Amino acid sequence: MTRVLLAPFTLLGQGSVRLMSGLGSWGRLVGDSIRALRHLDVWVPLLVGQMRRVGADSVPIALFIAMFTGIVLALQASYTFTGAIPLYFVGVLVGKTMMLELGPVLTGLALSGRVGANISAELGTMRVTEQIDALETLAYPPLAYLVVPRVLAGIVMFPLVTALAIAVGITSGWLTSLALLDMTTHEFVRGLTLFFETFDVWFALIKATSFGFVVTSIGCYFGFHTRGGAEGVGRSTTRAVVVSSMVILVLDAFWAVTLL
Amino acid sequence: MSIVIRDLHKAFGTKEVLRGFSVEATEGETLVILGQSGSGKSVTLKHVVGLLEPDQGLVEVDGLEVSTLSREELYDLRRRAGYVFQFAALFDSLTVAENVGMGLRRMKDVGEEERRSRVEECLALVDLDGFGDRMPAELSGGQRKRAGIARAIATRPKYLLYDEPTTGLDPITRAVIDRLINRMKEELGVTGLVITHDMESAFRVADSIAMLYEGTCRFHGTVDEIRDTDDPVVRAFIEGRPELIEEAL
Amino acid sequence: MNDRRDALVGVVILAALVVITLGTLWLQGVMVPGERVDVEAAFSDVGMIQPGAGVKFRGVQIGRIRTVEVDESGEFVRVVMRIDAEVRLPDDAVVVLSPESMFGDWQAEIQAPGRFSEARFTRIDEEGVLPGYALPDISELTAAADEISDNLASLTERVGIAFSEETAQNIASLVANVEEVTTRLADLVDQQAASFTEVTDGVQAAVDEIGGAASQAQRSFAGIDSLLVRGNVETSLMNLETISSNLAALTGELDDTNEDIRNLVLQVDSTFARVDRVMTEVEEGDGSLARLLRDPTLAGELEAAAAELTLLLEDIRENPRRYLRLSIF
Repeated sequence: MTRVLLAPFTLLGQGSVRLMSGLGSWGRLVGDSIRALRHLDVWVPLLVGQMRRVGADSVPIALFIAMFTGIVLALQASYTFTGAIPLYFVGVLVGKTMMLELGPVLTGLALSGRVGANISAELGTMRVTEQIDALETLAYPPLAYLVVPRVLAGIVMFPLVTALAIAVGITSGWLTSLALLDMTTHEFVRGLTLFFETFDVWFALIKATSFGFVVTSIGCYFGFHTRGGAEGVGRSTTRAVVVSSMVILVLDAFWAVTLL
Repeated sequence: MSIVIRDLHKAFGTKEVLRGFSVEATEGETLVILGQSGSGKSVTLKHVVGLLEPDQGLVEVDGLEVSTLSREELYDLRRRAGYVFQFAALFDSLTVAENVGMGLRRMKDVGEEERRSRVEECLALVDLDGFGDRMPAELSGGQRKRAGIARAIATRPKYLLYDEPTTGLDPITRAVIDRLINRMKEELGVTGLVITHDMESAFRVADSIAMLYEGTCRFHGTVDEIRDTDDPVVRAFIEGRPELIEEAL
Repeated sequence: MNDRRDALVGVVILAALVVITLGTLWLQGVMVPGERVDVEAAFSDVGMIQPGAGVKFRGVQIGRIRTVEVDESGEFVRVVMRIDAEVRLPDDAVVVLSPESMFGDWQAEIQAPGRFSEARFTRIDEEGVLPGYALPDISELTAAADEISDNLASLTERVGIAFSEETAQNIASLVANVEEVTTRLADLVDQQAASFTEVTDGVQAAVDEIGGAASQAQRSFAGIDSLLVRGNVETSLMNLETISSNLAALTGELDDTNEDIRNLVLQVDSTFARVDRVMTEVEEGDGSLARLLRDPTLAGELEAAAAELTLLLEDIRENPRRYLRLSIF
């Protein structure tokens, strides 16, 4: 009887312990990776390749998402504003929303699916097929070889991809306004520039950078700690995507609280 | 110039895999460690190159205690010890030649030219000439294993550790691999540590054989000695007759 | 093959950097072709102007506000505007800050002086710093309208009495006129600011009150008979005359602006012309009316009302845009 009553607390406790130990071992991975930065000869040659995989190859999906986001934003804004608010506020809404929120967050989420899953599946496979051990036996520090270039590529490329996504989103919002909303370029641009502040751009880039770090490091973490064959790889891939998506949203709120 | 394993203990969670395993491989010989699946053979091997740290006991290679080495010293040691993984563990994203050359890239005194020629040489040694530009996925199981051996010997190690080199291969390929192991010993003079549960292969390559049973060393002797032993556990393993153990109990 | 793939990374990096840089500059309004110069202006108060707000000259946007800072002396606000170098500003140019829309975004307008009374501008003794003035907020105006209607109400309360037939008719049509003006004012407000109830509530209330006062006046005038005691009317009458001439001047000025407002003002003008006529009759001593004007309190009320109206008119004249462009969208 007591056991039944205590069960929720036991679960809660176990959950917290798991969460904390996960957080701790992720932190250790990050810390060790920072130390592994000194093996320049190991990770520098790999960086460009990872930047391509993490960033350049993700551009199409990011732009695709941004394009439709821009269209929907423009249409919904005009729908909401009907009558009460002048249409040039469509420009304000598209610009602000793309820059402050949807550009970084949607790109982050899309890339957590693409990049985070990719990293975690690749490292997970390497782990279960002993390729990571093989690296060790060939005197390669695995963190410098696998984690550092991926995380650095994420940190560098996420903001860049996000910037492109924002630009495309705003452009598609503008084209939508022209084609479907009977607005002029002038009106849209007026709205776009009306409340613009340079900080908006920084905010977007800071957010995207943090998302890049989170997605790649969490992908590496789950990949590195994969156990149990193909099933284990699948499990850690799913976890990497779920956890990094959640962390992105939490971080999003965190930045909104601290920076805005 | 030897590998000494003394009183090695290792547990994963509550599961004690090694409970005081001791064995020794002298220079230039090939020591085969026999044991059932899950008996801790691979775990033992990983201790030798510092992939795992012992809970208790020690592993000495070249007179150096592995678990006390610094990162750099450990990498130094690893360059002297080639490791052949059970499933080759070739890097999927690299060609066979790049795989073989991986260890050499970490050696600063080996230039681009020399690396290329040594990769060629190693591939020739395992009869994989011309396979350098293939991707690992394009190789058969036996070819992969040979590529794994080529990668392990590329740094010209003094020790070669084989993790189940013949498991899952057809009899002919197994013979090829065994011959390769012997060739490495004869041509490169390496000290070999082979873990396997393939008796045929063990008899072909071993100078001495150890048997790992329930976490400790059940038997250690020459090939002839193991053929003549009365130990029911060893006999059960050699003859493939588990009932011998039950009878002995 | 690998080189080409790596080049892709380079392309993405470069493209993103270009987008970030150019996009930011463009949105900041910094990156407009042509040379730019900085122009400074001084203000005692800057309303809600902010860096990035538009700078207009003759209605054309020619630049943006760069900085808004209180001067070291603490006595005025220094505003730096970056504008198109090719625009030639008049030598005696002044800068007026005003709301651009009802959302709180303000703009700066560079213009020749004259439309505003000189006294309002902040001038400092420094080469190249233009005098500036920020328009007051719309709420001040609403308060003025409120007071006017209050005065009008109490005035009519006191009048509530007798006139000759003709005077009565005059006054009746005057009141009808006032009513119409009120309605049209109300319509104007309705039509131009329909969606911003919070902002216009004040204005609306004032208009309602004027309307109420007018109908009360009509009721009072309906039973014209007795008269009031004559007081000091001359000043009141003179005030009314001033108002009439002010209105006439205003209508002239507004010629080129919104038709609606012009008609409205014309009507106001004719309304006051009638008032003028009524007053003349009163002065000429038509028996019953003479007494009306002997009430000293009435004179005071009239004077106050006249003063308020003058203020309102002045404001309309100075800031016609506020009345004309309630809808700026």
